[in-house]
Amino acid sequence: MTFINGVKVNLTEEEVEKAKALLGREPNQVEAGMIDVMWSEHCSYKSSKPFLRQLPKEGPRVIVGPGMDAGVVDINDGDVVVFKVETHNHPSAIEPYNGAATGIGGIVRDILCMGARPIALFNNLRFGELRSNHSKWLFEYVVKGISDYGNCIGVPTVGGDVEFDDSYENNCLVNVGCIGLAKREDIVLSVARNIGDILILMGGSTGRDGIHGVTFASRVLTEASEADRPAVQIGDPFTKKLIIEATLEAVKTGYVTGLKDLGGGGLTCAASEMSGAGGTGVEINLDNVILREENMIPYEIMLSESQERMLFVVKPEGVSEITRIFDKYELSYSVIGRVDGSKMVNVYKNGRLVAQVPSRMLSDPPVLNRPVKRPSYIDQLAAVTPPPMPLNLAEVVYKLVGSPNLASKAWVYRQYDHEVGDRTIIKPGQADAAVLRVLGENKAIAAKSDATPSHSYLDPYNGGAGALAESCRNVAVTGAEPLAWVDCLSFGNPENPEVLWSFNETIKGLTDYALKLKIPCIGGNVSFYNEDQVSARVVKPCPVVLTVGLIEDLSYITTMSFKKPGERILMVGLTHREMGGSEYYTFYHNIQGGRAPVVNLDLEAATLKTVLKAVRTGKISAAHDCFRGGIAVSLIEMGMENNLSATVNLNGVGDPDLRFDELLFSESHSRYILTTGEEYLTDVIEIFDENNIPVKEIGVVTDKGRFEFEYKNRRVSCSTRRLRKLYYETIPRYMGVNKWMK
Amino acid sequence: MKIAIIQFPGSNCEYDALHVLRNVLKQDAHLIWHKEFKSDDFDAVILPGGFSYGDHLRAGVIAAYSPAMRYVREMAAEGKPVLGICNGFQILIESKLLDGALLQNNCLTFVCRWVNLRVETSRTPFTRFIKKSSILRIPIAHKEGRYVNTRRRIKELYDNDQIVFKYVNENGVETDDSNPNGSMDNIAGICNLEGNVVGLMPHPERASEAILSPYKTEHGRLIFESLIKYFNGGR
Amino acid sequence: MREYIVEVVIESKPYAKDPEGVTIMRDLMHKTGYDRVNSVRTGKFLRIKVSAENGEEAKNYVIKMINDLRIYNPVAHTYSIVLKESTG
Repeated sequence: MTFINGVKVNLTEEEVEKAKALLGREPNQVEAGMIDVMWSEHCSYKSSKPFLRQLPKEGPRVIVGPGMDAGVVDINDGDVVVFKVETHNHPSAIEPYNGAATGIGGIVRDILCMGARPIALFNNLRFGELRSNHSKWLFEYVVKGISDYGNCIGVPTVGGDVEFDDSYENNCLVNVGCIGLAKREDIVLSVARNIGDILILMGGSTGRDGIHGVTFASRVLTEASEADRPAVQIGDPFTKKLIIEATLEAVKTGYVTGLKDLGGGGLTCAASEMSGAGGTGVEINLDNVILREENMIPYEIMLSESQERMLFVVKPEGVSEITRIFDKYELSYSVIGRVDGSKMVNVYKNGRLVAQVPSRMLSDPPVLNRPVKRPSYIDQLAAVTPPPMPLNLAEVVYKLVGSPNLASKAWVYRQYDHEVGDRTIIKPGQADAAVLRVLGENKAIAAKSDATPSHSYLDPYNGGAGALAESCRNVAVTGAEPLAWVDCLSFGNPENPEVLWSFNETIKGLTDYALKLKIPCIGGNVSFYNEDQVSARVVKPCPVVLTVGLIEDLSYITTMSFKKPGERILMVGLTHREMGGSEYYTFYHNIQGGRAPVVNLDLEAATLKTVLKAVRTGKISAAHDCFRGGIAVSLIEMGMENNLSATVNLNGVGDPDLRFDELLFSESHSRYILTTGEEYLTDVIEIFDENNIPVKEIGVVTDKGRFEFEYKNRRVSCSTRRLRKLYYETIPRYMGVNKWMK
Repeated sequence: MKIAIIQFPGSNCEYDALHVLRNVLKQDAHLIWHKEFKSDDFDAVILPGGFSYGDHLRAGVIAAYSPAMRYVREMAAEGKPVLGICNGFQILIESKLLDGALLQNNCLTFVCRWVNLRVETSRTPFTRFIKKSSILRIPIAHKEGRYVNTRRRIKELYDNDQIVFKYVNENGVETDDSNPNGSMDNIAGICNLEGNVVGLMPHPERASEAILSPYKTEHGRLIFESLIKYFNGGR
Repeated sequence: MREYIVEVVIESKPYAKDPEGVTIMRDLMHKTGYDRVNSVRTGKFLRIKVSAENGEEAKNYVIKMINDLRIYNPVAHTYSIVLKESTG
């Protein structure tokens, strides 16, 4: 435990000494708090930064890359897309409803403060097994929190995924992503560039919520006991909706020169990062900050993380126009200071200077070079003996389709308004990615966020590359060219070299595939310390990737469902014995181990480009990424919506020595399932042949009510009716819903 | 015809309604902030969906006290067409322009899905040109949409031909399975005694272009087109 | 055993924001002229009928239950309890 001037700080002795040296004196208590919060892992990325440098960040369409609140890419005609994913793991684990709701609030602010209208939300959720009442409680209320918040602010929640795994029992993961749309000229950065510009703090009032270093704060507080204070923030989507409209109206005036939301680190973070990035300083008068509670001291005001606040940097001549807009929406605001040339954050209270710290000392803290070490468990897990093949493979298929990880997530997305905004062309459940149109134009964006922790656990490099590969495949099958991606990486304690090794391998995997596909990373978020304090159990590493792609002609948008009997089914790519981390091993055999699927970078990229080419001919009637649950489950997913089935022969689509179970359930990368009409069959196959991508016609769509798989003279046949029941009713049944409407 | 779409604090489907009326149907439609709304300027008014005042206390109840509703009431009394969609329906109910109550869905959660609606009457401006018993595919998205009233009042609604839309299955039959929120008698939309004030939970503005429909339908558009034809002398 | 009524009020902790209460006060009560209202806090109210030997037991039974079943979340909420004898 370390202290500066009597204030407990979460820094090492070396960091404390460094802070004193940089400041040239002992920081006072307010300054100690500001340094503590800005040098925290959460704000500084001090453990992850050295690794994140590897990621490719540049590309012809990148307008704003990593480092701002969200990345920005060009989608032609002066339109830009802004996006970002973040976690809200820790708050959601203790109060799932408000934790998840304020997670949405935070990610929406990140998009908004770039000057963009938020148009879509994503969520990637990880909980313990659904058998656990605790996990069910978390699941139910996280979904409710996202639903109530996202629906209320009028931003459709259009995609994501949910998985259940015992490693998340005490540490659920709540990843939330948001996409915004703007005109390029309306993009605002989180920068205070011009000396003399005015700082306006708008939105919610400042209270004692979420103050870092509660130990200190509680000593000072007299009237409120610790028990009276909520450990999480309360979401306020109604105010947020007004903030969205007011902010977008304000940005349109042209008077807003910089904008930043107040999240972790509160006013300290916003003031120092904006002036740090602008090479300026700021002068803040705390007497003008609108407070919700009495007797708040400077330490608390500077560190408060009260929700729904935005810091505007405004040209002096524009102040009255901007505040007129805030008045229209009845939002509270106050002028709290101005930009100066001091390169410092200067904080005043009652006319007295109470803190003075160089902006860049706060915004660019020293990074750490922590050690990495390859964990021994990696080799042990890879060496697992394959289980014997079950006699009745049809029963395995039923069991997998009814596994909570593979079953339909309609129970979740029916609770989300996924249509508000009149943009959602492809809705949840219809395809591998959501597709949103750009109103008034013949173009759309496709987006999907993905992660496969069970693969990452066994092989973090391929788990990382695989998350990006999967997310790009999901975008491409709709007809979209992947343009850029952001990540959100949840790991355990970075002070553990084995955790950090996994982290580094993940980044390496992401980097290598991104370079191969020439697709830049434009932003990201890292969440460390996702582990149980009591049992010291670490979560499976969870790299979430959100990829955005562009569709330049609405006519070739493709969904994943079988359209009519008689259509031919094509298998693209080859299946290998890559059973590690598969749902088949994990859920059916209860095996944590084996060799996880490897991303063959060249083949993966080439296959994606060829599939995209095929889809864009308009000759593909359904396209689906073949991944989780293997060929069997992927094919079945295509039949569910329209109650259609398939008869397929799987000879020649995998390594020759594969067992039937391996062929059905392996989760090898670089595979897709497509359907096409008989008249287009040769044309489509030719596209793949020309590009040397393995493709094989495996069968036909039927209305026979049975899925039939044939391989080496063995047949597996499953009732579509029973599959549909399992697919649609598994999650509702776990959640206590008796009657379920699809 | 000049159409007003009123924006309450927390409305969130106003741009969607504006898009359909202005860009798809080429009508003279305007977004009006609730404090600036004056009835004299407009021939028809739409109360859009969303979460006015965060749906706090009860969906629609706070907006019902907005000064804008005084003018909406005037327009209703003058016989001008008034349409409340989703939260707009809830506001019309809370303003007592329409009768009944909209309670939390019987599944207790928000529900977003496409439903089948049967048109029960052609006597309102919004259904005048849709054949009675037509089936429309339109999505719902709400948490408080379960229509409830006393049995006696429901009977009066039938007697006065005030039930405008019902939830039905694909074959046009009212069933429990096709009722997404537990509304009494599968009621999805009603009108006032005169027929010029209509409220419905489903969102026609989300079903007015084939590209947004999983069925490639444009059934929501019929409701707005009906209003336009009504205005162009087709009464 | 007799029947008791245990009324449970669940609210957000006193220093937490209550956006619903604030909106009801500001946008409904104050705007319609009820400006003497100084504060509104919203919450959940549960009226629970329970069989027990005596009032103390009824109360303890309910307290145990609302903790076991996470009917309130101690991280975010407080509760208060009023015990009444059932008349019916």
